Amino acid sequence: MRLFKRKDKTGETSTDEALGLFLFDEVPDALAAEQALKAAGYQVSLVSPPPELRAGCDLAVVLPRVEQVGAQRVLADSDVHVRDWVDDTERSSAVTDLVTTVDLGDWLMVRAGNMKIVVDKKTTEIVNTSGGGCPDIPYLNLHYVGKRLADAQRPKNVGFTLCGLMLDRAYLEACALLDNGAGS
Amino acid sequence: MSLLVVATYPVEGGRVLDGAAELTEDGRLTIDGSPLPASQGTYALLAAACRTASFLDAPSPHALIAGDIGRGDGTRAAFKQLVETVSRIRPAVVVFHYMQPIMALMRHALAELAGACPDALLVADAGGMYAAKAAGLAPRFELMTPDIGEIGFLADPKVSHPAYVGHHLLGGADFDPAALAREAHENGGSSRVLLIKGAVDHVVEEGAVTAVIDEPNVPALEAIGGTGDTITGLASAFMAAGLDTVGAAICAARANREAGVLMQATPAMSAADLVDRLPEVLVNHLEHAGNDRSRSRRSRRGESNPGPAHYE
Repeated sequence: MRLFKRKDKTGETSTDEALGLFLFDEVPDALAAEQALKAAGYQVSLVSPPPELRAGCDLAVVLPRVEQVGAQRVLADSDVHVRDWVDDTERSSAVTDLVTTVDLGDWLMVRAGNMKIVVDKKTTEIVNTSGGGCPDIPYLNLHYVGKRLADAQRPKNVGFTLCGLMLDRAYLEACALLDNGAGS
Repeated sequence: MSLLVVATYPVEGGRVLDGAAELTEDGRLTIDGSPLPASQGTYALLAAACRTASFLDAPSPHALIAGDIGRGDGTRAAFKQLVETVSRIRPAVVVFHYMQPIMALMRHALAELAGACPDALLVADAGGMYAAKAAGLAPRFELMTPDIGEIGFLADPKVSHPAYVGHHLLGGADFDPAALAREAHENGGSSRVLLIKGAVDHVVEEGAVTAVIDEPNVPALEAIGGTGDTITGLASAFMAAGLDTVGAAICAARANREAGVLMQATPAMSAADLVDRLPEVLVNHLEHAGNDRSRSRRSRRGESNPGPAHYE
């Protein structure tokens, strides 16, 4: 069953792309979101949300859900009010919350999903990040290696993708275990 | 025989670089003369491929990469130029690596490659692997190189990104990479050959494990960003030089581990440290690989099925 009628059928956000939706209370919010996201380089489309997700607005913005984190920050920076994000329109699907640790002697490795962060236990310096596959991950690696946990911004405020979000979860766990108070 | 790497590099707004990758003695990587920052990801893959190609007297890898820090702009720019580049250099192997995992782009790219370069062997890792699997295109690939956090993603036909994989597919006491590889093959989520990277490396051909590599064991390698990328670079360069895929995967896994021993790896080191050591390990490693390949060929033909080969 198709839930959406697309306005832009030739765009990258084709019907079987892994899509998510930004939902809004007002039509102008949706329009402003589309404008802000396109100005930031995102390829998005306005769509009609499915009936069960409508709540005062008949427009939603659809984009590949891997791009949600960065796009949400663009909307926040642009003062666009978002009512909700729906990250799977066909079935319920949540980002994994499994976080594990490995003691490597002088270092602690924290793994969240497909991402890892490695921290010097004594100095709380981030000595490595690894895993992932989205293009912000090498960028985050350059950004974080050499910084102390307390001196680093949260990865979800620097990265743009789901991989960046998973690194954020690993970072928060490292902060909780090694540097109580950092990351909050 | 040439290798093409399609990927991104971590520079905001960085232009499209389309040219030969060259690695200096001291580990600086340039693409068509432009320097690339040393990090995990594309640098690590290309640097390992350069070292391997140099050792084999093979042509330098060709890179088609663009700056992208997670917005997808560089990914789109690289894909836009793909067919022109492929038509010009006629690669034997095409690798898709760190990139925004956009399924529509991957579908379009494979359609173009089918026309412009139909015999090229396709390799995918990182975002290229995410896009290929999510788009239902994994069986079109010759090799994918997931780590243990990604093999569950390939096995689960319902998820489009590893961040959505359920707990039971991400590790734990009953975590079974071989079973997940079989599921991935049956579900259409696997390339013909998989190299599953982890504390124990598994080489899987059409759903069946053909080799297990667990020595030398260097636990620190998992903590170092880019040491999975170097494996993919090694394997791709071996394939471009004419090695069969299973043999290339085994060579790559073993060379990476041996380099980890030589560098005396600690979690605070970098992939560049590993790349520096590759020339020292390739001679001995390739001698072993010759024997390994003959075993894997026997296995593929069903001759006295030896079961998975273990390498120590």
